[in-house]
Amino acid sequence: MSVLEVKALSVSIGRAELVKDLSFSVNEGQWLMICGPNGAGKSTLLNAITGGYAYSGTVLYKGESLKKLSPKKRAAELGILAQNHYVGYEFTVEEVVALGRYAHSKNVLGGMSDEDERHINEALSLTGLNELRNHSVLTLSGGELQRTFLAQVIAQNPKLLLLDEPTNHLDLIYQKQVFELIEKWLEVPGRAVISVVHDLSLARAFGTDALLMDKGRLLSSGDVKKVLSPENLNSVYGMDVGKWMRTMLSQWT
Amino acid sequence: MNRKTGKIRFYEFLIFILISFAVICLCVSVGSVAIPLKDTVRAIFSAITGAKEEGLAYPIIVSRRLPRVICVALTGASLSLAGAAMQGLLKNPLADGSTLGVSSGASLGAVIAIAFGISFPSLPFAGTMVMAVVFAFLSLLLILGLAYKLDCSFSTNTIVLIGVIFSMFVSSAMSIIITFSADKLQSITFWTMGSLQNASYKNSLILLGAFIVCGGILFSRARELNAFAIGEDNARHIGVNVRRTKLVILISVSVLIGVCVSIGGTIGFVGLVTPHMVRMLVGPNHGRLLPASAFGGAVFLCLADLVARILLNPLELPIGVVTSIVGAVVFIFIFYRSRKGGR
Amino acid sequence: MKTRRLIALLLCLCMAAALFVGCGKKEAAVSDSGSADTKNEEKAPDNKNDKTSSEDNKADASSGDDTPSDTASSDEKPGDGAEATPSDLQIILPASSSDLQTLVPEGAFTIVDMTGREIVLNGPAKKIVALTASDCEIIYALGAGDLLVGRGEYCDYPAEVMNVPSVQSGYDTNIEQIIALSPDVLVMSTMAQTEEQIKQLESAGIKVVVSDAQNIEGVYTAIKLLGLLTGKSEEAKKIISDMTTTFTDAIFASEGDGTKSIYFEISPLQWGLWAAGAGTFMDEICNMLGYNNAFADVQGWGEVSEEQVLARNPDYIVTISMYYGEGPTPVEEIASRAGWSGVSAVANGRILNLQNNELSRPAPRLAEGAKLLVEFLNK
Repeated sequence: MSVLEVKALSVSIGRAELVKDLSFSVNEGQWLMICGPNGAGKSTLLNAITGGYAYSGTVLYKGESLKKLSPKKRAAELGILAQNHYVGYEFTVEEVVALGRYAHSKNVLGGMSDEDERHINEALSLTGLNELRNHSVLTLSGGELQRTFLAQVIAQNPKLLLLDEPTNHLDLIYQKQVFELIEKWLEVPGRAVISVVHDLSLARAFGTDALLMDKGRLLSSGDVKKVLSPENLNSVYGMDVGKWMRTMLSQWT
Repeated sequence: MNRKTGKIRFYEFLIFILISFAVICLCVSVGSVAIPLKDTVRAIFSAITGAKEEGLAYPIIVSRRLPRVICVALTGASLSLAGAAMQGLLKNPLADGSTLGVSSGASLGAVIAIAFGISFPSLPFAGTMVMAVVFAFLSLLLILGLAYKLDCSFSTNTIVLIGVIFSMFVSSAMSIIITFSADKLQSITFWTMGSLQNASYKNSLILLGAFIVCGGILFSRARELNAFAIGEDNARHIGVNVRRTKLVILISVSVLIGVCVSIGGTIGFVGLVTPHMVRMLVGPNHGRLLPASAFGGAVFLCLADLVARILLNPLELPIGVVTSIVGAVVFIFIFYRSRKGGR
Repeated sequence: MKTRRLIALLLCLCMAAALFVGCGKKEAAVSDSGSADTKNEEKAPDNKNDKTSSEDNKADASSGDDTPSDTASSDEKPGDGAEATPSDLQIILPASSSDLQTLVPEGAFTIVDMTGREIVLNGPAKKIVALTASDCEIIYALGAGDLLVGRGEYCDYPAEVMNVPSVQSGYDTNIEQIIALSPDVLVMSTMAQTEEQIKQLESAGIKVVVSDAQNIEGVYTAIKLLGLLTGKSEEAKKIISDMTTTFTDAIFASEGDGTKSIYFEISPLQWGLWAAGAGTFMDEICNMLGYNNAFADVQGWGEVSEEQVLARNPDYIVTISMYYGEGPTPVEEIASRAGWSGVSAVANGRILNLQNNELSRPAPRLAEGAKLLVEFLNK
């Protein structure tokens, strides 16, 4: 069943049209990788879906227009992990993660239910942040900060996860952990993931589907192996991507 | 501290209340005229029981010092609460009614009300107050609009820049109004200097009302403020209705600042200093920061007022002078630290 | 990066500077705002400008005609006023004016203004701009109002003065406007005016005369000075003798015995209480009439603690608040203040509202103010 359906989506900021006439859909259990070179409009696309930018066209979540959902309701269904994080104040890791439960709480004063606590603890241990839970976010490394916000979005417990460069700043070990973690997260029925990835190998390894963009336009979409074919990639990146990857890999043999 | 739930614990609350109460007692019992503690207590007691008391203690303590201290405490609490909320909302520890120029905007409104005799027949003093609140809100909108046009975020430089520009604009606007209403010159100039000498139980009641309503609204938005303090994008991502929440917070802040300015004039830096100090104590979580700031502001302004009252006895210093001297030092400290922090 | 940091530091300093200037301004605003016309009295009475000491002052109080000659002749008649004079009358007597002028070579003469500057005039001034309200009043009192071609913006007495073109005075004195009025002489006070302004005016060919009355004797000096300037020395003598007579009458009429106190209120509670302390005209007249100023320990004008007013329990209150015709009158407002009912002056209804600067402006009407005050005190 289709979780998210995007039809003829265009995003303009000022005079620049960053995303042009884009259509695709994501079904339950799918992991859609959005690929493309810098400036292809990948992050803009994610931001538009989550309400950060005004757009034309329709975005349907489970058949319902996303614009009609209240911010809280939308957040309960759609979780987004942004690319850059800057926190101005000395919040603790746990405080940041706990905010993920905002969309689910009915208590105006911010009391935590047992279920909230359970989700927070689960997210913290999934991301390996249990020991850092009382640390100030200002003292964290870039990777730890990234994991903190990943934990926040996991605590948010959405049905659809939108990740903008989830392994940005992350060490190899955490790249692996994060992708395995998301893969596991996706096993629960009814869930889907959309992520922007630069690393084409990761995209091929973990994605079920892919979306190849260039200069705001959709080049190809569908099965990840078909979309990220040598021909497509060569035309987008202007180089023999497969050959480059094999050269890189040969360093290890 | 119970940092997990972000709520203030009962014993913490109790400590704040006790400290505030102790400071208020101190401020009531010490003043320009020395009145023995025994007489002070008796005067207050007779005020409660309704017995008429002879002598100096009753008029000085009950009629003058007590309402003034209450007004000062409520003004401090309100301004500091407004400052804390703005610093969270704009994600910048330098944001405050006085640094952004909202207080100046509010006083411009009040001066216009005085100069053009704007008043509402049913409410004798409401003219200046309503205009102050309206202008506080309009200045906030203008300031935010300018800042977004400048750099889409509230970096420290933007805030300092906008504050300077807007304050200059307001002071020239004020000069123009004063030029055109020479007959009200005296009222206007004295008004702009501000004074809490005019404090009365009625003013206390107005302040208390504004504090309870707007403070309540702000307290109930503590989690949204946390989200804004982490980042406006993050707030949107976790499901905060960004536009509406912002509007509600800005209106509450405007009302608090407007009411305070119309009663006590512009008192700078309370909203900057206290939340900053308090944040170092209880952390940035607004569930604790907001109530702690309110108490801290009350305590800070009461002490500043005490200094203003007794330092040059029998003369009085304007309270703004005391807060500005402390505030300037803290302002530079925060500015320096935030620059060092690599923004 | 370094430059950015430098800019930040500079900005910081600017802010701090602005702040402290702001604080300073606040105080400046006080003096500015009260009303520009009463600026002089804010200063402590330092008599450095008053070269006359009371010892020179040997004239007889009773004979107005014998007041020291202030016209062209500089010789004094020491024997004339040798009779015993009540010591408290001395201060109200005109001072010798030998230093005010010197000689008269064919119309031209030199006068010495109240800061000791010598000004050579080719004859009595024909066109005058006066920046302070008190000087305007004196000029009108001398009957020389038609010589005024410009006035400071705060000059408001007598009513005719309002028809004279107004110019901006104080720190922002509009020099261009003054030059455009092409007066021979500009009269200003020391308060809020600068040396720079004098230089600019003089280079434009305008003679600048500074009046600077800090006490009643200074007012006499100012009247004589302006009398000389306008060629109305006889009138000046008359005014001074009238003032002395009024003051003398007031002193004799006063029932003050040095036990009762008066609180002079400059600004009402709403804007913060300001009281007139030592070195003000109110203080001088209060002492002259045999009363104590409740805030004699305050220098000039000052924002005082309300508690102090209650504790000092003045027998009389004199307020100079303006009344715009709406709400309670200043007297009603004082009487209705919470906690003030026990103050002797309030309990006995002894509150006076003087709205026309009678007691705050260094002008001939000070004597009238003293008379009004005595009438009120004797009630």
